[in-house]
Amino acid sequence: MQSSLNIKQLTICRESTPLLSINECITGGEVLSIMGPSGSGKSTLLNWLTGMLPHGFSAKGSLFLNEQNITQLASHQRHVGLLYQDPLLFPHLNVADNIAFAMPKGNKKQRIEKINDSLKQLGLEGMAARHPQSLSGGQQARVALLRVLLSEPKAILLDEPFSKLDATLREDTRELVFAQIRQHQLPALMVTHDISDAHAAAGKIITLSADEQETRC
Amino acid sequence: MIQPRDLFTQSIQLSPALLMALLVIPVVGGLIGVLLPAFGYIPALDKTTFTLSGFYSLFNTAGFGTMLLLSAVSSLVSTLLAFTITVLILACYFNSPWLYRIQRLLGPILVIPHAAAAIAISFLITPSGMMSRLFSPWLTQWQSPADWLLPHDPWAISMILGLTLKELPFLLLMALGALAQADLGEKLRAQHKVAMSLGYCPMTAFFKVVLPNLYPFLRLPILAVLAYASASVEIPLILGPNAPPTLAVAIMQWFNDVDLTLRIQASAGAIMQLLLTMTLLLSWWLLEKLIKRFSYNSLINGRREYAGQLIMRFTQLLTVILLTVIMLSLIGLILWSFAGYWRFPDALPSQFVLLHWQHALQHMQTPLLNTITIGFIATFVAVILTLSTLEAEQLRARNLSNFASLLIYLPMLIPSIAFLFGLVWLQEQVGSHHAYFNVIFGHLLFVLPYVFLSLASSYRRLDPRFSYLAASLGVTPSKVFLRVKLPQLLAPILIAFALGLAVSFSQYLPTLLSGGGRINTITTEAVALAGGASRRVSAVYALMQMLLPAMAFLLAWFIPKLVFTKQNAAHYVSTSSTKTTP
Amino acid sequence: MTSSNYLLLQARRMQFYALLFSVMLSLVFSSNSTAKQWQSVLDNGQNHNVYFHAWGGDPQINSYIQWLAQQVKRQYNIDLHHIKLTDTSEAVSRVLAERSAGNHSDGKIDLIWINGANFAAMAKHGLLTPDWANQLPNFALTNPSHNPAVSLDFGVPTQGMESPWGQAALTFYYDSAAMTAPPKTINQLLSWSAQHQGRFTYPRPPDFIGVSFLKYALISLTPKAQQSLLYQPVSKQSAALLLPNLWQFLDALHPNLWRSGQYFVSSSTALRRLVGDTELSLALTFSASEVPAAVARFDLPTSIRSYAMSDGSLSNIHFVAIPYNAANADSAKLVANFMLSVNAQAKKQHPEIWGDNTVLDLATLHPEQAAQFQLSNPHPSSLAPNHHSPALAEPHPSWVKVIEQQWLTRYGAQ
Repeated sequence: MQSSLNIKQLTICRESTPLLSINECITGGEVLSIMGPSGSGKSTLLNWLTGMLPHGFSAKGSLFLNEQNITQLASHQRHVGLLYQDPLLFPHLNVADNIAFAMPKGNKKQRIEKINDSLKQLGLEGMAARHPQSLSGGQQARVALLRVLLSEPKAILLDEPFSKLDATLREDTRELVFAQIRQHQLPALMVTHDISDAHAAAGKIITLSADEQETRC
Repeated sequence: MIQPRDLFTQSIQLSPALLMALLVIPVVGGLIGVLLPAFGYIPALDKTTFTLSGFYSLFNTAGFGTMLLLSAVSSLVSTLLAFTITVLILACYFNSPWLYRIQRLLGPILVIPHAAAAIAISFLITPSGMMSRLFSPWLTQWQSPADWLLPHDPWAISMILGLTLKELPFLLLMALGALAQADLGEKLRAQHKVAMSLGYCPMTAFFKVVLPNLYPFLRLPILAVLAYASASVEIPLILGPNAPPTLAVAIMQWFNDVDLTLRIQASAGAIMQLLLTMTLLLSWWLLEKLIKRFSYNSLINGRREYAGQLIMRFTQLLTVILLTVIMLSLIGLILWSFAGYWRFPDALPSQFVLLHWQHALQHMQTPLLNTITIGFIATFVAVILTLSTLEAEQLRARNLSNFASLLIYLPMLIPSIAFLFGLVWLQEQVGSHHAYFNVIFGHLLFVLPYVFLSLASSYRRLDPRFSYLAASLGVTPSKVFLRVKLPQLLAPILIAFALGLAVSFSQYLPTLLSGGGRINTITTEAVALAGGASRRVSAVYALMQMLLPAMAFLLAWFIPKLVFTKQNAAHYVSTSSTKTTP
Repeated sequence: MTSSNYLLLQARRMQFYALLFSVMLSLVFSSNSTAKQWQSVLDNGQNHNVYFHAWGGDPQINSYIQWLAQQVKRQYNIDLHHIKLTDTSEAVSRVLAERSAGNHSDGKIDLIWINGANFAAMAKHGLLTPDWANQLPNFALTNPSHNPAVSLDFGVPTQGMESPWGQAALTFYYDSAAMTAPPKTINQLLSWSAQHQGRFTYPRPPDFIGVSFLKYALISLTPKAQQSLLYQPVSKQSAALLLPNLWQFLDALHPNLWRSGQYFVSSSTALRRLVGDTELSLALTFSASEVPAAVARFDLPTSIRSYAMSDGSLSNIHFVAIPYNAANADSAKLVANFMLSVNAQAKKQHPEIWGDNTVLDLATLHPEQAAQFQLSNPHPSSLAPNHHSPALAEPHPSWVKVIEQQWLTRYGAQ
């Protein structure tokens, strides 16, 4: 079965003023890019998708992940992975344990093997016991990606994931991330400022406007 | 960095050393002052040979083992409880606006002096207290109070309750303070979100991700709480057992005993207290290491859920109970302070009178004046010293060494009962007979660490570019300090000032001992009255003890608002006047 | 005025003139130097501070001391500061600490309210100024030659180290809403406590009232023939002979006490609070007047009544002393002398002020002065003025330590 993330008839309001409306279906391996100036509601959309809509906002519409309605599920039960602009690796765990933290429960030995294999795949061989702080920015970004992928999410959200990387690193990392998304056939939604990110994603691009709409919620 | 050589810079450079000396010399000197008599050296009693007799009589004291056990168990259990509840509340409300509501409800407890809190709790739990009045006689059938062992129960339950309730807000506020640091708080919240997006339930996410990174910021406060609890005097005196009492209370009684030779035993006891507290701190540290070691595997085992819902419900219930206990204690205190005749089991007094407040206020003037004067002077000195030490840090462009930072917390970590008696002796030795000065000096020891703790983070966070900018405009370092830095820090300075006042207001032992009992403050009066004849007068004093620091904090909160509104108003006037001029 | 009162006044007046005459004689013939000495005390003592260390647990007493302060301010321009102690022994440690620091002339304590074991300890270590109390002009009003009690503190001669201030007797009070007949003897107390479980307790030693209760019990339990032993320094033999009676009594009493005798309050003032809370129905005090005063301030219920035990009331005199190193000794003497004045003593005896019995010999006073000590309209909760209770003198102070130590070993740590 083709996996999908389906945003149905979503309207998010701040107080009683409509902020954005979206109606999109993202299929596995596809990346939907959301662009727009700050204040246009990009991060509010992400918050709604993760089930963490802050106080003062309200939303109408529903979210289906692989045909299952997850609109009312708590964020930790949604199986939606998140990749931020900061790698946000846990400083009290080393690289391997950061990844182990994300993996489902299971046989300890198998888990370790899987971690080592995937580290190798992403060119991070021998980094397992290193502390996150001792890695370069690009390495940290790759560990963060691995952490999300190995948590076996059913969809993935990217929150300006490459904005803190310098130009060359940015392209490499971008390619790697999108390749992995395609390889895992995950529906993905990316919020970005940068049009080149959106083009590289090679999917549909939606631009949110900062203007408030006239209708009331 | 090239140092300017003006007078301001030079005197500022001296302040870290001065601050250290002010903290270290009295503590170390005080310890020597009990070490000598502990080994039998008291020239005043014509005892000038060193013996171990003090320790022998200490070990032979009836119930000595129980005393040690009481001190150790009550402090460890209360610290563990306070820490656990703090963590549970944080975990349960980490992403909820309730966290800040709870903070606002518990915050005021922090500034309530220990004595007042103990009095309030004892009013709640005694057999004739608020709790049993509320349930009698309709539920309990009691027409006269039950003969319970509360408070003062030999298992120290009341005392542990008192200590826990007093320590909990401190730890919670310290944790929230750490979370309020922009970099740390945001990072931990984001990581908490990451863990939830990885499928962790909020509780587990907190324990596996936030706690390990938050704990280092709680370690020192916890150790301070543990050290304090192991050697405190007020709470065990008001809530603890007395057959036998805790070691600290026993030491105080021996020091004050008619039999002057007991001072040798008391000094030996003070040394034991020091060893006990150090042992407890060490055990906490070991416990921490053990837990860290044995829980590491469960951090990364991938398990997402540990009865999170159940723990959440439990924590919510616990929070409600805690808040109810605190509210009822306060209500009981207020009722007693206005009560006429109030026979058990009536839930309300049969009449309300102003007599107790009138009577107390008539007799309160001197203690009140002393409390405020001493508090203001000690806090003023502490704030000045702290500010100049922090400024010296910035001029030297490096923070105090870890060792120096640890020294600042010395008076918080070393049980005061162990060095205060020696300090009094020391003050006698250097011929300092001015009681007022001695008390202010004694208070300074305890005010300084808190003021430093409260100001350091804001001062160090100050954007250095403002001073670079000012310096590039040719402004002298003293002007940068006075005109650029201090105005930006108005709010934190006032908060630190209020905290300093609150700490000073609550001091019991330092006031009693350094002042030779000559200087009465609201707190010494409250403790003296706590064991006394009148619940009503005692309630008035306990409430006064709460009102004073509350007023200090209210002012600290209000003054910046006033200043900024004024500035805005002035700004408004000036702009509007320019508008009207053609 | 009835005729009998008139006769009494006449008789007193005669005595007064006789005393006045003898005082004048002594002034003329023997102690011209005494008068000179006192003049120098007057000259040196005015216009200074006096730090008076006194137990501060009773608001009534504290108010009275404030009144004293106003008076000596007006008469001598002395600023009297009341340093409120929770236990007098705090002041004893203070003087000792000063001596150990070599402070022999600028001590912080000028005057101290003291008696019993604290006095014995200070006297033994030479921490008090000797031979001043008997030089105070008002000391003569106590009629010391006919009233040796004012020169003995728990049987120990004061040697002029302390000046008498007042006297007190152990008084019991009970809640008449909780019982009809209070126990009147030590043995009745035991049977009463068995019927009223948990409604009585006494403060743990070394609290003054606690020790006093133990002394009262010891005296009452000791056969008349052996009682003289209690007024001599304690010995191993006398302790072994007399104390077992007390422990046997307490072993039987304690299970019936408040908190089953597992917890004893640390201070006598807590007793009154517990009676106010109706946790206790029976308690004891050394200042009988605190009871009606507490009722008036709502701290005790209106159903409280006071009485004295019919098998005797322990009574003693309390004093003020001057530490050997007091900075303002002469000023302290002026204060002590004022404390012995008729005005100050009469005010102190007034139940609404303090209710502490005077140490003056009323028979030696001028009748108008003696009339100041008359009572009017006692409160129903106060001690009946005509109560019959033999006074029990305090045992030798050396007993206190033995009783305290053995009590603490037996009951102090459970």
